[in-house]
Order: sequence, then structure tokens, then C-alpha cells
Amino acid sequence: MTNSRLVEGSAPAFEGRLDQRGVSRREFLKFCGLMAGTLALPARYIGRIAYALETAVRPPVIWLNFQDCTADTESFLRASQPDVDDLLLDILSLNYHETIMVPSGRMAIKSLDDTVRDYAGQYICVVEGSIPTLDGGVYCGIGGRTALSIAQQVCSQALATLAVGTCAWEGGLAAAVPNPTGAVGVRDAVPGLATLINLPGCPVNVANLSATIVHYLTFQQWPETDGAGRPLFAYGEEIHEECPRHDHYEHDEFVQEWGDLAHRQGWCLFQMGCRGPDTKHNCPSVKWNDGTEWPIGAGHGCLGCSERRFWDRHSPFYVPGDD
Amino acid sequence: MPKTFLPIVEKNSSGAAPPPQKVVIDPITRIEGHLRVEVEVQNGRVTDAWSAGTMFRGIELVMQGRDPRDAWIFTQRICGV
Repeated sequence: MTNSRLVEGSAPAFEGRLDQRGVSRREFLKFCGLMAGTLALPARYIGRIAYALETAVRPPVIWLNFQDCTADTESFLRASQPDVDDLLLDILSLNYHETIMVPSGRMAIKSLDDTVRDYAGQYICVVEGSIPTLDGGVYCGIGGRTALSIAQQVCSQALATLAVGTCAWEGGLAAAVPNPTGAVGVRDAVPGLATLINLPGCPVNVANLSATIVHYLTFQQWPETDGAGRPLFAYGEEIHEECPRHDHYEHDEFVQEWGDLAHRQGWCLFQMGCRGPDTKHNCPSVKWNDGTEWPIGAGHGCLGCSERRFWDRHSPFYVPGDD
Repeated sequence: MPKTFLPIVEKNSSGAAPPPQKVVIDPITRIEGHLRVEVEVQNGRVTDAWSAGTMFRGIELVMQGRDPRDAWIFTQRICGV
């Protein structure tokens, strides 16, 4: 039995749900602060974000896994400081997600069908992984249907589709030469979607996924995007320009060999194949693993994973790119 | 006898074994990846079963001819869990 009416949220009900998950008010406000920071909003917006999240209608979410490795799901679920996943599970109504849902088989497909039918035009569809198109789409099937057919049906009736990870954006790893399965991203599998937000990265950074949804719940509109449908708050700045090693680049101070003196002193990784100059992503500020570190901070070059066809354009990864 | 969600197939009047039933579970959830399981059931007992991974990317084909130093970056993406 499903109720197709979306229920208006209320602050006491929201606090009750947070209590149940052991998330304190303080942690909640910390999360709102992280969201404001990620969206590059001034601190005065924290209260507005908190109010919006407390009172928002919980949008139903359908999370589709196709040709994926589930790393975007991991990114989503493993965040812990503050308990981003707990908070998101309170803010959203995750009606279908194969990795974590209880029903299997036909009952799982029923959850999907019910949500599409009862909340057409109201649910958010998150897509993880690419969609194979060769040989009638046989290279990815769920419940006896092809990924292509599911994507076309579910994305086209969504309020918005969020393509998380580089594979869902434009094919990613499966689409690397020679693209054995004819893998494409959502934009090519289901062309003409009214709202398609691309959140590339290998994997997506949960801070950017959360901030995109929080932006919608706070302002009733999706964040501004670039020509490739990537939100500017996350994909507006070049990693190279924001890199803490950038001064070394300016002074021609380069790492020449792994473990050399320059490497130990944190000099520029450009000669080791760093693709920071070709990559727009907010890794230097948002970072990874609960905001603790990121690849360049850990001493490895950037792979440029949020950029177009990076598996082919940026490999071999340990050979310097074009300046 | 333990409770089972599978229907118990009763013998027909002639006493001959009824045809086996097929139970299909697709998708199997709470795992990483895409899995389909088909189970053949006769008289409430599993008599045969088949499992199939229902997703293919061809990472072996993608890796052919590439710089071996890059291999870990590709193969790491086989499973992100």
C-alpha cells in the first residue's frame, strides 16, 4: 500500500527522526555548515538551510545501479563526519536502492514500479554507472529488463535525474577504448531530459551530491551548471589553480621520481602525470574521507577523474600531460 | 519442518511427480553488483539452481595494450566496495 501524497515535513518530526538515528542538533547544524561551505554560500545561510531541511517534503529517491562498481554508493553511505548518510536518509525517502533495500526479486521491482507510478514527476532519480547500448543492451539487465529500458522509463518521469560518477555522466570506464559494450551515460541513453545534473568523479564526492540536493530543498531550484551539466559550485574551479602545491609549479619545483627529495618536500606533481591543470573539481577544498585528505595531499597526482573521457585522454596516467 | 516461502507442490492423484517449479530472484539485493538466481523446486525441495551475473563491462578488453603502470587504476574499479 503506498500513499501517493507527499507529506509536508515539520521541525519536531524531523528532530524525532534525527534522535532515532542518534544525530544531535549540533551535528545537524555542522552538516548544514558543511553544505553552505560546499555551495560557497555565506555562513548566514546555515539557518536557512537548516529550516529548509527540517520542513522540506521528503522527496522519494530511486537510485539505479547499472554498469557500476558501487563506489558512488560507498561514497554516499560511508561518510561519517557529521553523519551525512544518516542525515541524508532522513532528508530523503530512499524508495529503491538495490545495495541496501530489504526486498529482493519481484518485490524489489514492485518498489521501483510503485514509486514511478505514484510519484511520477516528484521523485529524484539517481543513476550510478554507465548504460550499455550494443546488442540490444544485453550487457546489463535487472529483473529481466535492460538497463537502457529501465533508464528510459525511470529517468523520463523523474523530477530530476542526478548522474553520479563519471560513468553515469558519459560512460566512464566501460566506455574507454574500445568500449566493448557500447556504454554511454544518461545524457546519451535518455536524451532530452528536462533536468539532468551531472556529478562526475570517480567516485562522486558525497559532499557535492548532498549539496546539490540541499540546494534544491533550500531554494526550490537546482544549482547552476556549466555546459556539461555539472554544478559550478563543485566543478567551477581548476584543481591546479587551487592546489596547495601551485607555488612550486610557478617556481619550476617538480617531483622527478617517486620518493625523491622534492616528493618528500611536497613539490609539484606535474612531471609525474598530475592532471590538475586539466581538471575542474573542488577536491582541494572539500577533500575526501570526511574531508581529511585528497590524492594530491597524499602525494599522488590527480587523475582528472571528473573530466570528459579521462580514461583515454589522461592515460597513460604517469606520463606528463600537456601544459 | 521449517517454514519456507516456497510453495509446497502437492502430488497429483496418479502419484507421479509433478513438474518442477522455477523460482527466479532478480535482482538479488544487498550485494554489490548484479545477480540473478534461478531455483528449480520439486516437492518443496531445491533440485537445481543457476546463478548469473547480469552485468558486463569488458575491463579485460579495455586494459589491453595500455601502460602496465595504469593497471591498478583500472582494476581498482572492478568493485568499489
